Amino acid sequence: MSIRFPRVLTAAALSAALLAGCGSAAADPTPEQTLPTDFDSLVELARGTTVTFYGWGGDDARNQFLQTTVADTLKEKYDITLEVVGMDIDAILAKLSGEKGAGQTTGTIDMIWINGENFYSCKENGLLYGPFTQDLPNFNAYVDQEDTETLTDFCYPIEGYEAPYAKAQLVLIRDSAATPEAPTSTEELLEFVQKYPGKVTYPAPPDFTGSAFVRNVVYDICGWEQFQDMEADKETLRAAVAPAMEYLRELNPYLWNGGETFPASSTQLTNLFADGEVLLDISYSPYSPAVNIEKGIYPDTAQAFLWDNGTIGNTNYIAIAYNAPNKAGAMVVINELLSPELQAAQYEAQKVLPVLDEEKLSAEEQALFDAVDIGEGTLPQDALLERRLPEMPAALVPLLEEIWTEEVVGQ
Amino acid sequence: MRRNPLPALAVAVAGLCILLPVALLAVWSVAGRWPWPELWPESFSLRGFQELFASYNHTGALLLSSVGLSLTAAALATLVGAMTARALAFHSFPGKELVRFGALFPILVPGTVLAMGLHTVFLRLGLADTLAGVVVVHVITALPYTVSILTDVTQACGKNLEEQAAVLGASPARAFLHGTLPALAPGLLSAGSMAFAISYSQYFTTLLLGGGQVRTLSLVMVPYIQSGDRTLASLYALLFVGSALAVFAVLEGLIHLWTGGRKWN
Repeated sequence: MSIRFPRVLTAAALSAALLAGCGSAAADPTPEQTLPTDFDSLVELARGTTVTFYGWGGDDARNQFLQTTVADTLKEKYDITLEVVGMDIDAILAKLSGEKGAGQTTGTIDMIWINGENFYSCKENGLLYGPFTQDLPNFNAYVDQEDTETLTDFCYPIEGYEAPYAKAQLVLIRDSAATPEAPTSTEELLEFVQKYPGKVTYPAPPDFTGSAFVRNVVYDICGWEQFQDMEADKETLRAAVAPAMEYLRELNPYLWNGGETFPASSTQLTNLFADGEVLLDISYSPYSPAVNIEKGIYPDTAQAFLWDNGTIGNTNYIAIAYNAPNKAGAMVVINELLSPELQAAQYEAQKVLPVLDEEKLSAEEQALFDAVDIGEGTLPQDALLERRLPEMPAALVPLLEEIWTEEVVGQ
Repeated sequence: MRRNPLPALAVAVAGLCILLPVALLAVWSVAGRWPWPELWPESFSLRGFQELFASYNHTGALLLSSVGLSLTAAALATLVGAMTARALAFHSFPGKELVRFGALFPILVPGTVLAMGLHTVFLRLGLADTLAGVVVVHVITALPYTVSILTDVTQACGKNLEEQAAVLGASPARAFLHGTLPALAPGLLSAGSMAFAISYSQYFTTLLLGGGQVRTLSLVMVPYIQSGDRTLASLYALLFVGSALAVFAVLEGLIHLWTGGRKWN
């Protein structure tokens, strides 16, 4: 269920936009559509319209939830038609930057499923509309306004340009029938791989999950605090993460395929785990064991676990494109997705962590969440949140991935 | 006369190489868990079919519109290809080599670069995010194949039949329609089928130039392949291969009807 964020095209797309921008867009500022700030007028504007929601399309549970429960609710309450479009974030970036470069003011994308460095590059390049979250009643009523993940995304200020959608947190998954032990630290993981040589691996960064796993190893060995305000300088980072890279090199000979190759994506790792070829899976969706046991992909004895020092969590968000044809409609839909009813339904259907603040919910609203049976093989929400570590700054992420490629793979 | 067993063996091996993976797809499409080294899935599930036939997916409409789009693109690419091939085969004109090379250009440029360049052009032309734009980009992608197939075929056919008809008093149009065109039919069929296959499997070009407003089977299938959901990926792949084969069969039947099964050579 984690969003995949391949970076193959992003750089190309952005440089194309910059090149094109030299010609025309720089001289052609996008006229800002002035929208009413009171929600009732937005609802009136949005009534009877269509809203498009662009995001990765490879998750059937999400597709189904959006196209049934969410679409029906929107139709009934606001007469809004929701159109879900499956598109990778890199294609969305390519499309938006092409449109920006050509000076287009009305595109086709209303809402975008986004976070991290993609949000960073979109906002820096003026591809997003905002700020808008301050006008959403549910955002104001139910979201913790002081929370780091409300204020920043990978340490980058959000400033009202995206609204929280769901929470993710890294978990490791083992088959309790296959291995009695759950390695809950980097130290134990080393013992584990020595005991089961060739039966553990992790996806190669820049895969989203693989990259997060490497960051988690860095946090476990070097601590997480020092990275929060570290400048984006590769050599500074290289020096700070040296012990962690040393550790990863030490793992290599015991890994799947002798550490010479790594799975290219987290989904390949999941398939290896499902096939019994490796003993550990890594996921950014803490409830993925429940989903995969239900689908019959994982054995019933699969069980998620965390590291004692915590694992990285982040939030994914919804943003509005700078040239969205229906900004009012997008705001109404995003507001609705932040309602306790839909967040609870989403928790049930997609098994993703909700983004609402429990303290702001009424007893009846809290009951909606308590009623959800989260399924087999998972950890309770408070256990997850207790051991949740913040993300690294977005600008450090690609640098760390480069350092991993230089110093770990094939070494 | 003893029959040589080699060709039959070759056909059997080739057939197995094609059929075995397709058979595997069929098993995966209903497989739940299939851990190594089991020879047969541990459990089965109809999850894929439930998703495929869920009403919100409109799979039937998706299939029809995908086939319609690709047939249109294939027809146009074959038409343009045939005309280009005729010019290249029978006429000499300044810049002929440039045209020959230019026709191949879309496969020499990496697909994503081509798509992003065309996106900028299409935005200015107002073709981006439209069905017409997607048809045009599919035609551009298929042209290198139709041009090269049809150049060879046109050259091999020559102009003999047409000249013969002209000597007997037929108008140029009639001489072409009744002389050369039927002889070109098998070539047109292969070029058209190739163009259809190219168009039917376009992913990134459709995604970027259709802007998500034009839905095709590939657009729905590829994310499941990328996400490693083997059940849904296999099921969509089967649908993809099956529908493409059905289209080829119909095209072949139509050509057969048109030429009455005659063979020119």
